[in-house]
Amino acid sequence: MSVSRYEPPRRRDTAALIIAAGLVVIGGVMLWDSARLADLGGYSGVGPASVPRVVGFALMGLAVWTAVEALRGDFPQRAPQNALPVLWIVAGLAAQLMLLHVAGFSIATGILFAFTARAFGKRNLATTIPIGIVVSFVVWAIFSQLLMLHLPAGPLEHLIFPRG
Amino acid sequence: MKQFVLASLFAAATALPAMADYTIIAPANPGGGWDQTARTMQAVMQEEGISKSVQVQNVPGAGGTIGLAQFASQNKGNPDALIVGGYVMVGAILTNNSPVSLKDVTPIARLTGEYEAIVVPAASPIQDVAGLIEALKADPGAVSWAGGSAGGTDHIAVGLIAKAAGVDPTKINYIAYSGGGEALAAILGNQVTAGISSLGEFEAQIQAGTLRLLAVTAPERLEGVDAPTLQEAGLDVVLENWRMVAAAPGLSDEQKAKVTADIEKMAKSENWQKQLSDKGWMDTYLAGPEFEAQLEQDVTSTEAILKDIGLVK
Amino acid sequence: MSAFEFLMQGLGTAADPMMLLYALIGVTLGTAVGVLPGIGPALTVALLLPVTYRLDPAGSLIMFAGIYYGGMYGGSTTSILLNTPGESASIITALEGNKMARKGRGGPALATAAIGSFIAGLIATLLLAFLAPSIVKLALVFGPREYFALMVLAFVTVSAAFGDSALRGLTSLFLGLALACVGIDQLTGQARLSFGVPELLDGIEVTTMAVAMFAVGEALFIAGQRVQVDDEVTAVKGSIWMNRRDWARSWKPWLRGTFIGFPIGAMPAGGAEIGTFLSYATEKKLTKHPEEFGNGAIEGVAGPEAANNASAAGTLVPLLTLGLPTSATAAIMLAGFQQFGLQPGPLLFATNPTLVWGLIASLLIANAMLLVLNLPMIGLWVKLLTVPKPWLYAGILLFATLGTIGANPSAFELGMLLAFGVLGYVMRLFGYPIAPIVVGLILGPMAEQQLRRALAISQGDWTTLVQSPIAATLLGIAALALIVPLILRARGKGEVLSQLAGDED
Repeated sequence: MSVSRYEPPRRRDTAALIIAAGLVVIGGVMLWDSARLADLGGYSGVGPASVPRVVGFALMGLAVWTAVEALRGDFPQRAPQNALPVLWIVAGLAAQLMLLHVAGFSIATGILFAFTARAFGKRNLATTIPIGIVVSFVVWAIFSQLLMLHLPAGPLEHLIFPRG
Repeated sequence: MKQFVLASLFAAATALPAMADYTIIAPANPGGGWDQTARTMQAVMQEEGISKSVQVQNVPGAGGTIGLAQFASQNKGNPDALIVGGYVMVGAILTNNSPVSLKDVTPIARLTGEYEAIVVPAASPIQDVAGLIEALKADPGAVSWAGGSAGGTDHIAVGLIAKAAGVDPTKINYIAYSGGGEALAAILGNQVTAGISSLGEFEAQIQAGTLRLLAVTAPERLEGVDAPTLQEAGLDVVLENWRMVAAAPGLSDEQKAKVTADIEKMAKSENWQKQLSDKGWMDTYLAGPEFEAQLEQDVTSTEAILKDIGLVK
Repeated sequence: MSAFEFLMQGLGTAADPMMLLYALIGVTLGTAVGVLPGIGPALTVALLLPVTYRLDPAGSLIMFAGIYYGGMYGGSTTSILLNTPGESASIITALEGNKMARKGRGGPALATAAIGSFIAGLIATLLLAFLAPSIVKLALVFGPREYFALMVLAFVTVSAAFGDSALRGLTSLFLGLALACVGIDQLTGQARLSFGVPELLDGIEVTTMAVAMFAVGEALFIAGQRVQVDDEVTAVKGSIWMNRRDWARSWKPWLRGTFIGFPIGAMPAGGAEIGTFLSYATEKKLTKHPEEFGNGAIEGVAGPEAANNASAAGTLVPLLTLGLPTSATAAIMLAGFQQFGLQPGPLLFATNPTLVWGLIASLLIANAMLLVLNLPMIGLWVKLLTVPKPWLYAGILLFATLGTIGANPSAFELGMLLAFGVLGYVMRLFGYPIAPIVVGLILGPMAEQQLRRALAISQGDWTTLVQSPIAATLLGIAALALIVPLILRARGKGEVLSQLAGDED
């Protein structure tokens, strides 16, 4: 981000405006939630709602500041991004999350492994998924069997360590 | 590298059979009382041959209610699943509006417990319970109490003391700390008026003379403890912070009987007794209908005091 | 016997070859588990404690010490090489360490971390041995208002990691503070911002958030880059060992880090992270190479790593002298001590000198063993960076999720990892610094609770905050640190300052 410091032509930055809107929403949620809390300040006078309220207002203020900078085009130039690889990794993490307790650690993490490799250019899932599963299984075996870490087991783990 | 992997796999397969007869959920982070109870159970059950391999799993959060909820929903009818819990859970279920309560699991037995101790720093002008109550009556706000988290056993005890002394429980100035350690530091540093926690947390300091023990919340004097009970001091407060083990919901009578027998075997073993005395835990083993009746009574009285303090509506 | 004789006797026992082997095993196991992102020293010690049960007391004690120091140290390796902090105390290490690693200076970064940890561990353990009782008296003077002042000072130092935009730094910090509000309010038991979701009641796990922000966010960012030329990671440039210049720039930060980390670790509510923040800010202020900060300054690795390890030894001060477990790790250590029949407390040094000095000797041996294990490993570790990108990032995500799953195998926690990973990606995309959000999450609750405790004790009187000399001094330093740069800027020296700060990102 510090590489090129040339002045871009000033223009409205829509993405930054969306960030400002997001900050307003977060600040609003904080204020709404703190209004709901009973003010049990007790003897301190500062209750559970006080700090969220301050943070909520601060976020609103920062949203205004962000909007101003966005309108003036003060945000730094962003590197162009490819969406596809990012989506592959997100998909891998989501797949792991959903499969973890059904298929066990090795298969779920194997898929994450292969999808991540796909995002970085190893396109052949037919080879990367098996590789991922084997690597994950070795890791599972070491950490759950030798180091007693509690990692979810699935059909594959039960097949090789029948009572694990 | 390959050889190393193969070797470790082989070692894993032979050295430590992956069998887990029991899985114990410790609904707290490593290090706390429940975690230690679960890990001690693990060691004793394995050594006594009650179970070949026991796994402990930490599911921390919200006074144990997160672990409890997960345990109840995932293990219906599973006779191999256990969860450790205790009195703190009773309060946490109420303050957090937890959808899952102790009725949704199968309580097996109370294993151990501790009584609460009320202390002041050695330099404090307060000499006994009467002195503390006098100060409390004069200005409840000026008496700050250091103890564990809000709505926990320590907080409940202070509420009960205020109520018994005729002081409005909503007026107590209770300073919640995240753990016994931090509260103890605040008391030793003379930051607060009084401190309350389980006796074991304070014992070493009391012996060293840096803290003055005013009273304990036991029903009768404790052996080797030079302090009156609150009842002797004229306050009708008895409170035990107990720890228990429960099994999954939906067990058949035979399954429940088997788990109860296994736990009883563990609790009666020399190994367990030695662990208790090493750790300074009391043996307050109680199972069956007596335990269930006790549990019922605790839930009712806890709900009442939490309402009085204003933590539960 | 004098303290010194006890120590010598302990060292004599520990020098037995079998004992050294136990120490080596302990250090290896501790590092192996501690290196996992998301699994801090507390869980490491809890998991591995049963391993020590089977040995005789002396052997078990020494293996235990090895596991403790190994687990403490493990986090820095992944921080430096993979930008994936193993635990919250090594977040700061990632800032400069990973930049160094990318420039082919991973070797010196790892070396300065290892040697700094060793030196800090050595000095801090000796301080523990000889000064513990007097240090603990000082630590007890710290009440809620003093802690609050310390937190304020730590907050001010965060601005050292803000980068070139105050707006984006503050936004990141306040997002962290907002996230810190999630969960049960500790002082009243009320649920905040949890929207009836039970998993949110305990708040957001710092390690999950840090792993997501650093590891997952980074992986997404790198994967999405269309032009990958300028970010090519160089595995090794120049020597993998520290050169003369590295040594010259490291030794002072090691010592300063030690003397910042140790007392803060010894305070019952200090915490290892605060020491690393303060050390980083100090090094940034004192360095002769301010332009390198943010681009891989070796001081920024040496200082915080030393502070981190010194605070690990510092934690033992209240534990041994008062029986006060001040962190989750310490609570587990306490359980560990009890199995050796060692009851920490004010009388420990008098009633049980052999065991205490045995433990201290074990810590010294474990500390040395850690260096012996890790220095030769550096060559191997650095090779990790030559692994082709697809496999490297696949492996990073594997281990990042392994740590999260191992600590709490719930789909919800993995969901948080994913959500914060995406947030980290978006923040990187728009040039928001990552460190402030994590720091806000760590410091926010601490500062809030201490403030409210202080005010409850004073019954709502705000002047209590400046009535103690220590609190007033700390707040004064914080105010100076905030105001002086503003005055300098106002007097027209601003250009110099902004030029100095301009090279960071």
